[in-house]
Amino acid sequence: MIENKQPMIEIKNLSKNFGAVEAVNGVSLKVFPKQVLVIIGPSGSGKSTLLRAMNWLECPTEGEVIVDGVSLSENQQCINAIRSNIGMVFQNFNLYGHLTVIENITLALRIVKKMKKGPAEKIAMQQLIKVGIADKAKNYPAQLSGGQQQRVAIARALAMEPKVMLFDEPTSALDPEMIKEVLDVMLLLVKDGMTMVIVTHEMGFAKAAADEVIFMDMGKIVERAAPDVFFNNPACDRTKQFLSQILSH
Amino acid sequence: MAVTDSTLFQKNKDEMSPGLQGKKQDFPWWMVVIGIVIMATFLLIQFNPDFNDAFMVIKAGLSITITTTLIAYTIALVIGLLVGLGRVSESKFWRNVATIYVEIVRGVPLLVLIFFIALVLIPATTNLISSLGGFFIKIGLDSMGAKLVTVNNRAVSMNTRAIISLAITYGAFLAEVFRAGIQSINKGQMEAARSQGMSHWQAMRHVILPQAVRNVFPALGNDLISMLKDSSLVSILAVRDITQIARLYTGHSFKFAEAYTILCVLYLTLTLLLSLLLKLVERKISNDRK
Repeated sequence: MIENKQPMIEIKNLSKNFGAVEAVNGVSLKVFPKQVLVIIGPSGSGKSTLLRAMNWLECPTEGEVIVDGVSLSENQQCINAIRSNIGMVFQNFNLYGHLTVIENITLALRIVKKMKKGPAEKIAMQQLIKVGIADKAKNYPAQLSGGQQQRVAIARALAMEPKVMLFDEPTSALDPEMIKEVLDVMLLLVKDGMTMVIVTHEMGFAKAAADEVIFMDMGKIVERAAPDVFFNNPACDRTKQFLSQILSH
Repeated sequence: MAVTDSTLFQKNKDEMSPGLQGKKQDFPWWMVVIGIVIMATFLLIQFNPDFNDAFMVIKAGLSITITTTLIAYTIALVIGLLVGLGRVSESKFWRNVATIYVEIVRGVPLLVLIFFIALVLIPATTNLISSLGGFFIKIGLDSMGAKLVTVNNRAVSMNTRAIISLAITYGAFLAEVFRAGIQSINKGQMEAARSQGMSHWQAMRHVILPQAVRNVFPALGNDLISMLKDSSLVSILAVRDITQIARLYTGHSFKFAEAYTILCVLYLTLTLLLSLLLKLVERKISNDRK
């Protein structure tokens, strides 16, 4: 029944080459509203490139990206407006180093959404409370731990009220003890019904949160299944091999 | 146990960073020596009539030296910022325009460039403007043409030409500083800003540049000091800065030792004061960050 709705993100036959290297090779997929899609795969499999094509940070060599019914390639002139509806969280947080936590969140609200300082700060505080670091509002990013920085980055993305959130290995740059606090915030979003596409190596999180898991290798989707099938009974040998490598410890 | 640990740690810390700690703890003997030289010169000025005479004449050029430097540096900052942005622009055209400017300016000696800009480029520009005025009159735009046609080479004073020459030259140096600053910012910053829906320019203005300028502040300051010194070159355009006045003074008085000692000490005093001032500002900026 979910299939009848318009997909939030639709990717048609997408390819991306970096010179002679084919990072993504003819991938098609759909992400429906409120769906949580987790993309896993070895490094260099094209999963990050695919994710970054979803908001045109990487412009594809071929194929189409349609977000909420709007084709990105055909609407380049309003790419900024489209991007403001797509939240993105990066591996390295990418908080604006010269701004305090609250300014990090209000900046885009003020210059993209043209909000006044007061209302923007109100939204920022709400999001900071949600991710549990309202007390750090006046601090600079360099004064925060990695986990705190990533939670601010999530709050910054959420403040724009995105229709979909993209996560590019959000816990890969974190100390092990900080991974949980970030995953907890992400689970909160899952519970809220946020549409999410997540590139991650956190298999436990994928099992718990994903509606669907995609395994990529060599720029192609090798396997795509619900998490219980994917982890317990994968169809492809390549998937089994990958899972045995990362789940063996 | 705890005590030993903490003393050990402190000892280690001191040993590990002699470069950073040493600079602060090292007594600044160099400053004392330079201070004595400056003091001695000013005592000579005070009590030796020859030195006093030379100083009284030369100090008249101080305001020209300082204002020329400050105005030219301000213009150079604007040129440098624009050209620096051009160097990292997404447009191939602007990247090339900016690179041509930077390469030409950096490939010609400053002295030659000052001659060229002041005595070739500026007259050519004024000629162009006045013939443009003639053209306007021809096609019937009399009021606009009448103003332009009177633009004359002599209307641009040598002081102005000196300022323009220095500004154009240092614009290229500062462009490279700004470019380096912009490129020193992790490209994730631009991606984060773009992913939130900011345009390239908005991201540049609100995210990249504020951080880039902080990173290159010391380099910008160094170029200000360099420009203060290079402003002496404008004396060849007969601009009456301290160098030119000292030259004129020695020309008729033959008091070379007095005049050029004073000239050296004046530049030294100015650059030292300026670098102290810049250090204070720099410290303030880095403290603000923490």
